[in-house]
Amino acid sequence: MKKNLVCLVIALFVGTMMLAACSSDKGPAEVAVKAAEEAINGVKTEVGKLVPDQVKSLEDTLAAVKEKFGKGEYKAALAEAQTLTGKAKEVIEAAKAKKEELNKTWTELSGQLPKMVEAVQSRVDILSKSKKLPANLTTEKFEEVKTGLAAAKEEWTKALDGFKEGNIGEAVATATSVKEKAVMAMEALGLPVPGAPEAPAPAPAK
Amino acid sequence: MANDETKESGGSGQYDATQYHEVVKGDTLWKIAERYYGDGNLYTNIFEANRDILNNPDAIKVGQKLRIP
Repeated sequence: MKKNLVCLVIALFVGTMMLAACSSDKGPAEVAVKAAEEAINGVKTEVGKLVPDQVKSLEDTLAAVKEKFGKGEYKAALAEAQTLTGKAKEVIEAAKAKKEELNKTWTELSGQLPKMVEAVQSRVDILSKSKKLPANLTTEKFEEVKTGLAAAKEEWTKALDGFKEGNIGEAVATATSVKEKAVMAMEALGLPVPGAPEAPAPAPAK
Repeated sequence: MANDETKESGGSGQYDATQYHEVVKGDTLWKIAERYYGDGNLYTNIFEANRDILNNPDAIKVGQKLRIP
């Protein structure tokens, strides 16, 4: 009987100590989870446009951390929340690098595209007055060029709007599509394409 | 030998999408227009685009680099 009482006292003591240890982690865990949440919320709009997958991963991890906190797993929640804050900083750095890369691509594309579109438009305007199309350009192909040009101009306007609104990733993707269309049109018209080997001069008219 | 080319000096603002034609012996604006546009009647487009180096559409010189709009 006495032995059982001693065991019970020991068990109660150990239980109390464990509870105390757990509660002592609750405060720091709460602070850490809040800090991680603030770190993620503070950047997710801006950074999410640049590295959406990485931001999604942060948010998923945060949800898991909160779940652990809710279940009273404070120690694990504390450790993971602290790691998460560090990961949020890494994602911010990744977003900065991505933004730099996109800005470089945008500068390049925005320097080329208006001139490409203008060159295609000029040639289309002239060829539209031609009684006979040049060799290697069929009527069907010329119609395709005109359709592609109209689409490219529309997309370029969208790309510019996207850039103005700060959606640089979207703007670069749209501008890349514009470039593809412009290149196709230039090739069909026999115009030299930027970055490509020099186009052969059209064959002399017979 | 006829030649066409674009100019691109690498910088973003330096790209030039203009097509050029280097005049060779026997070329006339009419023939060049026929070659690029399929219709010699459109030679005035080439003449107008090169007014800085051409005074007379009938007087082009071998080696001149003409812009083909």
